[in-house]
Order: sequence, then C-alpha cells, then structure tokens
Amino acid sequence: MRPGLLLAIARRDSRGHHGRLLFFTACLAVGVAAVTGVGSLVAALRDGMTSHSRELLAADVVVRASRPLPPELDAFVAARPELAVTDVRELATMVSRWEPERSLAAAGATAAPASRLVELKVVDGVFPFYGTLRLDPPRTLASLLDAEHAVVGPELLEALDLAPGDPLSIGGARFEIAGVVLEEPGRLGFSLTLGPRVFLSAQGLERTSLQGVGNRVRYQALFALPGLPDREALHDFGRELFESLPDSSYLRLETHEEAQPTLRRALGRVEDYLGLVALLSLLLGGTGVAQIVRAWIAERTAAIAVLRCLGVRPREVLLLYLVQVALLALVGSAVGAAAGAALPHLLLPLAPELLPAELLQGVPLLPILRGLGLGLGVAVVFSLPALTAVWRVPPVRVLRADAAPLATPRLLRTATVVALAGGVFGAAWLQGDDLLRASVFAGGLCLVGGLLALAARLLMAAVGRLPRERLAPTLKHGLAALARPGAGTVGAIVALGLGVLVVLAMLLVEGRMDDELRGAMPENAPSVFMVDIQPDQWEGVQAALAEVRAQHVDSVPVVMARLAAVDGRSVSELIAEGRGDEGDEGDEAGAERAEGREPDGDRGDRDDRGDRDGRDGRDGRDRGRGRWVYTREQRLTWLQELPQDNRILAGALWSEPDVAEVSLEEDFAEDLGVGVGSRLTFDVLGRPVELLVTSLRSVEWGSFSINFFVVVEPGVLEQAPHFRIASAQVPPEVESALQDRLAAAYPNVTLLRVRAILEKVATLLGSLGFGVRLLGAFTALAGVVILAGAVASTSLRRAREVALLKTLGVTRSGVVLLFSTEYALSGLTAGLVGGVGGFALAWLFLEQVLELGAELPLLALPSAALCAAALATVAGIAASTRALSVRPIESLRG
Amino acid sequence: MEPVPRLLCQHLTRRLPSGGELITVLDRVDLRIERGEFVAILGPSGSGKSTLLGLLAGLDRPSEGSVALDGVRLETLGEDELALLRREKLGFVFQSFQLLGNLTARENVLLPLELAGRRHAGARADELLERVGLEKRGHHYPSQLSGGEQQRVALARAFGPRPSLLLADEPTGNLDSATGRRALDLLVELRAAEGATLVLVTHDGQVAERAERRVHLEAGRIVRDERSAPAGRPA
Repeated sequence: MRPGLLLAIARRDSRGHHGRLLFFTACLAVGVAAVTGVGSLVAALRDGMTSHSRELLAADVVVRASRPLPPELDAFVAARPELAVTDVRELATMVSRWEPERSLAAAGATAAPASRLVELKVVDGVFPFYGTLRLDPPRTLASLLDAEHAVVGPELLEALDLAPGDPLSIGGARFEIAGVVLEEPGRLGFSLTLGPRVFLSAQGLERTSLQGVGNRVRYQALFALPGLPDREALHDFGRELFESLPDSSYLRLETHEEAQPTLRRALGRVEDYLGLVALLSLLLGGTGVAQIVRAWIAERTAAIAVLRCLGVRPREVLLLYLVQVALLALVGSAVGAAAGAALPHLLLPLAPELLPAELLQGVPLLPILRGLGLGLGVAVVFSLPALTAVWRVPPVRVLRADAAPLATPRLLRTATVVALAGGVFGAAWLQGDDLLRASVFAGGLCLVGGLLALAARLLMAAVGRLPRERLAPTLKHGLAALARPGAGTVGAIVALGLGVLVVLAMLLVEGRMDDELRGAMPENAPSVFMVDIQPDQWEGVQAALAEVRAQHVDSVPVVMARLAAVDGRSVSELIAEGRGDEGDEGDEAGAERAEGREPDGDRGDRDDRGDRDGRDGRDGRDRGRGRWVYTREQRLTWLQELPQDNRILAGALWSEPDVAEVSLEEDFAEDLGVGVGSRLTFDVLGRPVELLVTSLRSVEWGSFSINFFVVVEPGVLEQAPHFRIASAQVPPEVESALQDRLAAAYPNVTLLRVRAILEKVATLLGSLGFGVRLLGAFTALAGVVILAGAVASTSLRRAREVALLKTLGVTRSGVVLLFSTEYALSGLTAGLVGGVGGFALAWLFLEQVLELGAELPLLALPSAALCAAALATVAGIAASTRALSVRPIESLRG
Repeated sequence: MEPVPRLLCQHLTRRLPSGGELITVLDRVDLRIERGEFVAILGPSGSGKSTLLGLLAGLDRPSEGSVALDGVRLETLGEDELALLRREKLGFVFQSFQLLGNLTARENVLLPLELAGRRHAGARADELLERVGLEKRGHHYPSQLSGGEQQRVALARAFGPRPSLLLADEPTGNLDSATGRRALDLLVELRAAEGATLVLVTHDGQVAERAERRVHLEAGRIVRDERSAPAGRPA
C-alpha cells in the first residue's frame, strides 16, 4: 500500500474517539514532563554555570594550596606585567562582639550570642576580577578595607545583633564594620557554608592572633589574563606557571571552565538519579498507552475484519494503527515537553534557596528533544505488543462474529517483546548514562512490576473466594468485579501500585533520614569539636568545659606534616613516575576545601576520608587520587592505646622497641602502596622523621570520635610544634555560652557545633528531597491517569452495564455507589500491594544501603492504601461520567 | 478444452468447535461455478451456507478439501497472498452492510478502488454512487444513512473495482421487504452490467429465485442443484 493511502486511511480511521486522545496524551505528557523537567533544570544550570564561569571563579585561573604559595610565584608575576594577580586567604574562625571589659566569668551571663563561626576571606589586591561584589555602601572592597576595618555579610549582623560601624573581635583584635557584602561572585545561595562571610585586608589579618594557625588556611592566587583566553591558552598558562616553580606538587590549578567542581558533580548525579526516577513515570505512562491501544484494537475488531476482508494485509493494518499511535504520541510528548521545559522557571518562586535564579540560563533545546524522543519511543515500543493483536483478527469475522482468532506469528511476538525490553533498557541508559545503572533499573523495574502483578492477581483471586452472600449488594458487586476484572484492570492496578510504592518508599526513607539527622545523637557522641587549641591554652579550655559540665571530653595532639619519601624514594619521584598525574585537572579535595567545606583538622581525618570516598573513579580520578595521597597535608597524632573503633588488621602496635613506629589506616596504606615493614619519611616543619609501619588498622569512620589515618608511637613527636583537637558532650542549652566564652578568651580556637551542622545538612537534604518527592508525585499521577484510562477504555461496556442496571431499577446514585465500590476496591488493592512493596523497598534501602535502623511507621501502610483507594475512586468516577448518564433505553438497543 | 471454472470446490469440509465439540458444518461439498454464473446458495439456518461463502472467499480455511479460484488453490496461499487476491478479484455484500463507520459513504466506496490501485478511483466512485442513486449523500457517514441506503453504498463499494467474483451473504436480511427488493434489483442490475460471477447466500426462497441456478444446502451437504430461468421482478 502506498504510504499516502496508508496515511489517508489512518487519518479517516482516527475520526471520533477524542476521549482516547485525551488519556493517551495525559499518560505520556506526565512522564515526558518529568523527564524534560529534570533535563531542562540540569541543562539550564549547566549552561548558566558555563556562561557565568568567570564570574563564579572571579578570575580566569586560580592556583590553590593548603600552605603558603611559593615565593617564586612573585617573580613569575613580576616578569609578566600583563597579568593581574590577587592573593586570597580563606579560613573558618570565630568572631565575637567587641566587649573588652567583659570577664570570662560574665561571658555566659548575656542571653544573646556573642560569637559566631564565620568564613574569613583575606584579600590582597583587586577582587573580584569578574562578577559583581555588591557592597553597601556601594564602594570598592579595597576602599572599605584597611587594617582596622572589616566587611561582613548581613547574616552576621543579624546573628550578633550588630550594625555597620559597630566593633567586632576577630582573632583577638578589634575591627570596625565598614560595610555589608550583599552579593559575592562564586558564593551561591545554596552552597553549604559554615558561616557568614567576613572580609579582611592583609594588614588586618596581621593584627590578629590567627597568623600562627597556618594549617587550616587555604591559600589562593587569582589570575586575570588579558583578552579572554580559550581553554588551551589557559592550560598553557598553567603549565608555564608550574614549570617555573621548583615544587608545584602541592599546588592545584583551576580554570574558570572547571569552576565549582562539587556543584558540577552534584548536577551530574542529580541528572543521573533523578533522571531515572523521572523515567519511571514515563514508563508507567507507557503501560497506560499499551492499555489504551489494547482496548482500542479490541474496540475496532469489527472494522479491522472488514479491512482484512477488503484485502488489507495484517502488517498494513498494524502500520495503520502504529501511525496513529505515533501521531498521538507526538502530541502528548509535545505537551509534556513544553510543560517540563517550563517547570524550572515555574519552580523558581517556590524554592528560591534551592535554585539560583542567576544561573538558570534560557530554555535548553536538547532536553526538550530528548523528552520528545523518549516519549515517542516509549509510546511506540509499549504499543507494539498490543498492536500485534491485529494479526489475531480473522477475516471470516465479517461472516461469523464468534470466529476463532488467528495465531500471531511467533517471530513477531518475540520481536515486539524484545523491542519492548530493549526500549526500556535503552531509555534507562539514555537517562542514567551508565550501563550498570540502566541494567539494575530496567531489571529491578521488571522484577517489581512482575511481583506486583502476581501479588495483585493473588489478592484478587483470594477476594473471589470470599463468601459474598451476606454482604451488602454494592460491596458484593464491587468484590465480584475485582474477582473477575476486565482486561485492563490488572495493569491499571499494577501501575497505580507502582506509583504508591515509589512515593511511599521515598517518603519513608526521607522521613527516617530526617529523624536520624535531627534526632538524638548516639549516647557518647560528642556535640562539639574544638580545633586549633594551642598547648598552653588547653588547661584553660578544659576549665571552661568543666564549668559547663561537659562530659566525655576527649582530646588528641595534632602535628602537621608532609610525606617526603616512601621506602627511600622521594614523593616527587613517585609522582613523576606516574603514580600520580601531573596535570591541572583540579584536585577535588583541595577544591572542596577551597569551597568552604569543613576545614581539615577537626575530627581528625574523617573528612578527608569522606572526600576520598566521595570521588568517582569514572574520569580517571584514580590518578588524581594517588597524587593527592602523596601531597596532601598529613595530620599526625600520637597515642599509646588505640581508640575503641580501631581494630588491628596486620602487625602489632608499638612492637619494635628500637624503632620509631607508625600505625596506618588500611585504605590509606593501600593508596600509598605500603604495608607492614615499609618506611615512611615525614617532613615535620622542615625536620625529617622516619617511621616504620608496624601495624595496619581498620577504623569505624561512622562513629563520631576523632580518628586518624596516621598514628605515631608516643615519644617521637612530642617536641614538635603541635596543637590539640578536642571533642566533648555539652548540654545543648550551654553550647552558645561555651562558644562565646572560648571566643572571648581564645579567639584562635574554633568551636564546631555538630547539631548546627547536621541541621544544615538536614535542610539541604530537605530541599533536595522536595525535588525527589515532586518526581514521586509524578509517578503517582501517572498511575492515577492510567487507572482512569483503563476505566475509560471500558466505557462502552460500562455504558451497557449502566443501562441494564437502570432498567433493573437502580437509581443513578446507586450506580455511582456501585462503581465507586469497584474503583475503591481496585485502588485499595493497588494501595495495599504497592504499600507493602514500598515498605519492603524502604526497609531494604535503610537497612542494607544506609545501615540505619529502619523503624518505619506502620500506620503509613493503611494510610497509603486508603489514599490510593480515594484517588482511584475519584479518577474512576471522573472517567465514567459519560457512561453514568446513559439512559436505560440503550440497553434495549443492544 | 474446458474453460477454467471461476470456482471449484472439491471435498470441501469444515469442522467448527461448538460447546466443546467439533461439529461438521460442511461435509465433503463438491461444487463448480462457471464464470459469469449467478448462483444462489439456499438453505435453512445452520445449513452451513455462510461457512461455505467464507471458504469460497478465502476468508476461512477448510478442514479438508480445497477451493480453487480461477484454478488457484486457496489453501496454498498465505494470509498476505489471500489479502492481495481479495483486493484484485473479490467483492462483498453483507447482511449487516459492514461499512466503516469512520468513513463517509464516498470514502467507503473509494477504499477498495484505492486498495486495488485503480486509476481514476474518484470518478469511478462517483459513477457508482450515481448508479445506486446516492450521488447527493456521498459525504454522509453510515450512521446518517438508513439501512437501505447503507446497503446501496455497500453495493457501490462491492462493484467498484470490477471484481470477477461477487459474494453476497443474506444481502436483504436486515432490510424490510420493499427496501430489500430494491436492493436486490440493484444487485442483479449491476451484476448484469459489470458481468461478475455472483454467489448469493440466502434462506429466502423468493430471493433465490432471482438466480439462474440454485444450490440447496442442508446439514452441510448439497441436496439439490437446479437450474431454471430466473424469476423476473414481481409485478
């Protein structure tokens, strides 16, 4: 048949049945909107980050380090007058109100907090090179800052009840607030920060007692190059710079294109995982489409028989309906894609702290095309198995309505099932961007869907066996309908059940995680950490802790060092050999620290481990990882006995009396490529210290105690310059007072409040959870639409049923009650089956993956079931309105 | 040499499931229909006449025996080939008209013409609609036409592609006697004009008398095969 004829017949065949169009569109639109929404949001953010990358970095190129930048850098810069350079130092420290007359004893007397943890930024030069630093009064930063003045963020004014002009104590020195910083390039509203921003000049910093705290300062040099150099030019510049320096192993280069690596990584993960959740609603929509097509073909059996009789071949009939499916799919996908593309912009007013308005750039085209493609593809592959039903229509049906159906060619059936499976997998791969993830998703979905279908059928069969005689007629009818459901009902129940499963599982997991984050801490867990306690300050700090009745006070000494050699070979030798990669891809740990994540040194090496584990091996970062392990700032401590959550795996602790020994954490040792018997040489502030590895340990990082990668034998490092870290459990009501006290007496000591940090994390997770819950709602919505569609597709049968019932004397409201019971029971089934599934999934995830105790609220199950029943009833009645208004005479017409 | 018959049935047998059993609906039927013949297949309900029609058209496959259309044995053909055959050579008129509800009257008539790839299909469709007296109703849908009008559209559709064989299954069954007579007249008229072989299945003796040959079917077997001059239009 000519394509033109095919289209003409298809066009004519599709006349009427506009209700079908509505449900078809709805099924697809919901899913396509979700998929496009996620894609558009991520793409818009990425585009925004790319086009604003210079502003985000405030420079073309930044060089970062955890120790002072080499002096040779100045010579490099001096030789290039076209370069502009600004030195920046960042550290987190305590800031308090300036009240010199106040004694230590009276410190706790005031009600309002007097101190605050802030992120200090010391700027020496032009800042920023790109982007806007919006200050009040609107002058340049350089004109506001001098040795006596500071510029602070508005949150600090609010927290300490201060106004511009008021005095401030930073690092023990007095400063006056010269202005307020309202907007800072690169400091995004939703970044995880430890505290408000405070700007100081270099001269100002010199007046403070913070200079000695060299270990936690992050050093940066911001460069602005003439013109707008491209990526290659920037990397050339970086290479040139590093080559001019004697030792660049501890330096990291970040170009503006690579700015915000944490955010980029987070976006990547969001895209992958949320993309899959969004895909779920699209796939559910696909099952709805399959149902509609199946019912449609069944409805058109007589017409198909006529076409076959007139000489249309089976595959031509399939094409006929496939064309119509494709056109409907395009319409539905277009509607969904438009809605999805608009979604980020619509959500903006609802979650301003989550979406930086300045970064959302335009309406990216690619996610829209992807959404359209996925919608069309899903509709087609899901329709294929249903469309093969046209083969079954026997032409002789024109003469004999009860003619037996013909067999579908086995090859065809197999091909359509393969196409369906392939389509689902392909879609998962496209969205999840990872083969393994796609397989797990597709496989898991099939498994869960299969289990749900099985459970639904078992439940319905069980319901069928219930003795019904003594029940009220409506209930009896409803149960009977459930026991022998129509063709599409099981599918609809599975779809709705899947929606309930996803939503419930998400809510349960989120709720549990929220409880965990905000709830009570483990019994002996510390509530505060103190870092940078100088040895002569320790007694005073202990006294302050005793005064507030702190418990479980734990403290360890810390010595900062660098790894100089392993088994006699220098670190630079090892790196050059390729154990680490010379390159300026950006070290994640360094970049993360520079972005204001928790400073190292508190809680020992916990965060570094987190840094390391958080990394993906995907982009060859294993090489960067190796290099980082060699060049990072090492924190050494000495202990006679190991803490409780350490376990010796190899060797023995302090077993060689004649040698200086060291005990390493197992993964750290593995990264270094060393074991028991290896010799490590550390550079402790210029002095080499050689240590023999005599034991390896495993550490329970999940506990809150202070732990280290490297523990040295007592008696080796005691004379080296060191500071102390301490942790303690302090009643929440005195945390603030303790902070004020310490800030007043020891301005260089930083107090970290665990509760406050966990609150922040919980809030951020809550915002993310909003996005996830939204997608879960899409899934549930898809399920509801499918149920309504399944109901609508049986409207012909229902209309006859209604006519018959009305003829028998049932009133209209009686019919509504009858149908409602049926829909409610279907919904209840879906809710129960899906709810149990959701519980199981949540339990599995919480216990096995997160290793949290899964204390789940049992009340959620009946609630989910009732919600599903209500949804199903409303959707079902809404879809039956036309059938309900049929007049009894229709039953006579046959 | 004998000309190839339009239809040749040999030992044609068809068994169908009914209530769990297999009943023999057609029992070793031998039938030969020449080109241009007008044959009525007559029999009470349940005699197997519609089943026979279905086998003659290649819509159904025999349990045993064979049907040859213009010398080609239908059981050797696949579904696709049967479809193409029907396009080229067959026309159908049904008791329940079997028009496609989504198509206008004209489009219904047009469809077989387009399928067969006939040129000037539109003109031919208009010509036939005029012949059946519905030239002004071409744009109406079947639901807007009376039973008699629908059957006339069906006739136009059936004769459109100039089929070699026309099969009619109780064409007046759903019509009242006056309308039925008019439809039958049209059918006979068109057949005479186009020269098609016509096999008409009916239980109505008066309808059967319009044919020049009557084959009587009872319990799946041919019990009588008589020729006579066709009865003309009753006065």
